[in-house]
Amino acid sequence: MGNYEAVIGLETHIQLNTLTKIFCACRADSWEDAPNSNICPVCSGLPGVLPVLNQSVVEKAVLLAQAVRAEIHAISFFDRKNYFYPDLPKGYQISQFDKPLATGGYIELPIPRTADPAGKGYARHVRIHKLHIEEDAGKTRRQGERRLVDFNRCGVPLVEMVTEPDLRSAEEAAQYVIRLRQLLRWLGISEADMEKGNLRCDANVSIRPADSLVLNEKTEIKNVNSIDSLREAVRKEIDRQTRQVEAGKVIQAWTLEWDEDAGVLRKMRSKESEADYRYFREPDLLSLEISPQWKERILKGFPELPLDRRQRLMAQYRLPEYDADILTLERGLADYFEATAAAYGGDPKKVSNWLMNDVARLLSELDLQPAELRLTPVFLAQLLKLVDSGTINITTGKALLQTVHDSGKAPQVLVQEGGLAQVKDDAAIREVCLRVIAQHPDEVDAYRGGKHTLIGWFVGQVMRETGGKADAKQAGTVLSELLQ
Amino acid sequence: MEICDLTALEISRRLRSREISALEVLESCLARVRQVDGQPGSLDSGAGDNEDARKVHAFITLMEDAACSQALALDKELATGGDPGPLAGIPITVKDIFCVRDTPSTAASRILSSFHAPYSATPVERMLKAGAVLLGKVNLDEFTYGSSSESSAFQPSPRNPWDPSRVPGGSSGGSAASVAAGEAYLSLGTDTAGSIRQPAAFCGVVGMKPTYGRVSRYGLIAFGSSLDCPGPLARSAADAALMMNAIAGVDARDATSANVPVPDYLAALQGRIEGMRIGLSPDYFQITFPDAESGAYNQQALPAEMEAAVLRAAEIYRGMGAQIIPDVPLPNTRYGIPAYFVISRVEAASNLHRYDGVKYGYRTPQPVSELKELYRRSRAEGFGLQPKLRILMGMYVSAAQYSEQYYHRALRVRTLIRGDFEEAFDPHGKYRLDALLTPTTPSTAFPMGDVYGDSVLMQYADQLTVPANHAGIPGISFPGGIAADGLPLGIQLLGPDFSEDILLRLAHAYEQASADADWRAVRPKVLKEA
Amino acid sequence: MPNHEEQITPQVFEHLVDLAALDLDEEEAEYLRRELNNQLSAIRELETIQLPDDLTSAAHGVPYPSERRQALRPDRHEPFGGSAEILALAPQLDEGCVIVPEIPHTTLE
Repeated sequence: MGNYEAVIGLETHIQLNTLTKIFCACRADSWEDAPNSNICPVCSGLPGVLPVLNQSVVEKAVLLAQAVRAEIHAISFFDRKNYFYPDLPKGYQISQFDKPLATGGYIELPIPRTADPAGKGYARHVRIHKLHIEEDAGKTRRQGERRLVDFNRCGVPLVEMVTEPDLRSAEEAAQYVIRLRQLLRWLGISEADMEKGNLRCDANVSIRPADSLVLNEKTEIKNVNSIDSLREAVRKEIDRQTRQVEAGKVIQAWTLEWDEDAGVLRKMRSKESEADYRYFREPDLLSLEISPQWKERILKGFPELPLDRRQRLMAQYRLPEYDADILTLERGLADYFEATAAAYGGDPKKVSNWLMNDVARLLSELDLQPAELRLTPVFLAQLLKLVDSGTINITTGKALLQTVHDSGKAPQVLVQEGGLAQVKDDAAIREVCLRVIAQHPDEVDAYRGGKHTLIGWFVGQVMRETGGKADAKQAGTVLSELLQ
Repeated sequence: MEICDLTALEISRRLRSREISALEVLESCLARVRQVDGQPGSLDSGAGDNEDARKVHAFITLMEDAACSQALALDKELATGGDPGPLAGIPITVKDIFCVRDTPSTAASRILSSFHAPYSATPVERMLKAGAVLLGKVNLDEFTYGSSSESSAFQPSPRNPWDPSRVPGGSSGGSAASVAAGEAYLSLGTDTAGSIRQPAAFCGVVGMKPTYGRVSRYGLIAFGSSLDCPGPLARSAADAALMMNAIAGVDARDATSANVPVPDYLAALQGRIEGMRIGLSPDYFQITFPDAESGAYNQQALPAEMEAAVLRAAEIYRGMGAQIIPDVPLPNTRYGIPAYFVISRVEAASNLHRYDGVKYGYRTPQPVSELKELYRRSRAEGFGLQPKLRILMGMYVSAAQYSEQYYHRALRVRTLIRGDFEEAFDPHGKYRLDALLTPTTPSTAFPMGDVYGDSVLMQYADQLTVPANHAGIPGISFPGGIAADGLPLGIQLLGPDFSEDILLRLAHAYEQASADADWRAVRPKVLKEA
Repeated sequence: MPNHEEQITPQVFEHLVDLAALDLDEEEAEYLRRELNNQLSAIRELETIQLPDDLTSAAHGVPYPSERRQALRPDRHEPFGGSAEILALAPQLDEGCVIVPEIPHTTLE
């Protein structure tokens, strides 16, 4: 990219997962609903109606503000943002303008090796400018020469969080959204699904000479509906601006829309360009006052944050970064891991391996949350110990995962009931080995002729004969001896 | 005296003792309506005839059939010993700025002329729940913008029953006129700069602006959201108290409605007057208005008879043992109108954004090629001049480059105005007033067409009432005599937050003390020409 | 004394009319512009008032100490039940949606 660095700020709109809308008692979620079926006089902006603030919206916003270490203001205000658009029935949006809920804060963003051009990985300190609450607008859909308007989404609660222009690459921007999504789900305040629109992201992009501190004119990118689109759109815009500047042209403050299908950015005359919103205090609402007592109640039981937990898993359990990342993708999985490790008492890496692979697969197939598994942490720990002690072999162990969940019974019980204990008796194994050798003379010849890789095949045959219960290692030893 | 000319309390008494039926009461009111009201306001009224000029025209929508059904149902319930509520059987009118289910709720504007709300405003619901009989929706200035009711899109606009060549005041002109003419006993109006108190004064009835937040605004088509107060118009302070009992109180649907207990306003009428401290302020005995030519400010004393009426009232109170404290300064009174111009317009412009022809109300029937044209045409055709004026002024004074200079300044001036009252009413301050006694308006009702068109002069008619709206404090206007021109003049009492009980008590005491005054026997002109 | 009358010039007025999404004929426009300027003379008095620096602005006249405030709304679903009624108020409906003409979107590049 030559001597330029990219300067990127992100503005995210987060739909909170409260039960009801921000200013009325309609349901907040209407993803599945028929158009205009989830409305009331308040959210459809009928004459004479008034907004009434949902307490849960404030509480969830406070959780987020705390998580990004922002300063939560004891008093903040609502303001009207006035403009005309068909998805905005009142002709104004109730938002927070100059005295928002929270300001400041930061996210220490881990940039993994794979996302680092230098291949080493590093952390980007991203400052938060502010965080405020506001209402969502409805949806419009174009149909030829006309537009169809659906008010279902009017009044859904949003938190808008704006960063300082601290991000320096498209990849960093993507990482920010990845971590934000993780955080939102971790705190339980939003589903944060970009495809469903519960997490929306606009990017402000400019470039400047590498050592400069100046902030140049920026463009705004809208309508990115996935993390990949964000990455691509920002990358393309950085390239475009670089080309422009290198050609001696000036960057203008355009608003650009990402066209997902064509994979290009288009300049748009947005509904908000050149608008004067004439912000003023919302007279239908009182100031938002968060008392120390209320704040304390909200923050009671505030969880360890995902990145902190990730660090701790690496430190406390001596897990590699890769494992810690996967285990802290979702809070439920991290909880499950720690509970299992505690019950197990042995090498946590073993627990991690099982979780990242076989248990993860099981969860995915069953489409369940870890807490919903009847293969509880205690049961998993027991199962691991059975494998450790040689009571069952690994193959049996893996097969038992599903069975424990299906039956809800302890592994030990299932081993006994099913006669699944590993066959370790030397005489029994020897007997099966001899039988296998006798049945496959060609392979025996091949082995004795030098093809020693066949030992694995022989072991496989022994496992088949024993219904998977033979101690594989022991079988291998006996076979090697017999085949000499 | 006709049944329809009695008080609501008296009717209530007679209904409960089964001396009369709700249907009889209603019929008396309907007969009066037929006698004096003339044609209701409508969008396409055509050229009025001579008759028009002698009628009251309080109504936009008269709901005769529905009212009869209600009255019959109430009679049934009363007959079987039931108690349908404190307002049972009392015909009321509602200013057509309130949404009422199953009626057109027009705001006196073309843009909502066929709008039927799917819900009812809280104060209306409460009155109906208390057994009131809804006679109809009455006329007003379009979106309550005005002080004469002339700007209604539904013509003819209401006239003053005392002299139908004159305005009833505004914006609750239809409310005041319907009560004054004996068409209804109680009316629900709104007061944003004096729009209950001023028409009450012009029409010789009682009108109260409660404390901001005392009565829920849910269902009130908004004008100045931080200023609007729903309130009663009635023929006596006791009737106003009866109505306040029904409508006051916190409402979960209005976040600005105050969580303050509601006293029994009727019971409170009987309280002590002795020892009360009632103030008089020189700032309320003059009007300060800008000269149209030079822009300089002129000060003019109020007409002598206005001042005299107030001083007479002061004497009456003194006779009851109250202390009259003269020369109470309220120096920021003169800034009430300029601040009001700004604050109310900003809020109004924003509140009118939703009337865009998209999802309800008027949409232009003209073919349009794109959305912006739809907005512009619908709003241009649907709004009258007064809303347009307010919208444009609101845009201007809240525009980014001017808002600090105008809007934010006005909000701080509001603090000053509030400060005047806080000082006057401070229980540990110099004056320690229980109430302030002032004239309500600088003149009696002016002739139709006289002031309309001059928006500045029209607005200045509210100079004595608007400070209470800025400060949020309650105020009441009650009849204080008949002026030399034969028109009623009103006296105003202002009090600290949530002192409606005191104000009603004082107004009631004055009524009692002046019950035999000659001027009380004079009747409105429309009633004389039966 | 500066000529205040033209503070809202025809150009400024045009801009306001545009912001307000209105369409005015010449006569209306002149009347309104004149009245606006007259009102501004009245408003100008605001500028002459001495305001102490620490004077706060009042969004409402009455104060709202905590005991006067209602509790915030609990997060409980209460369906209105009249969505169809609200929708039926629309001047033009199709496929369950309110219909409006399209908005011009000039996309370049």
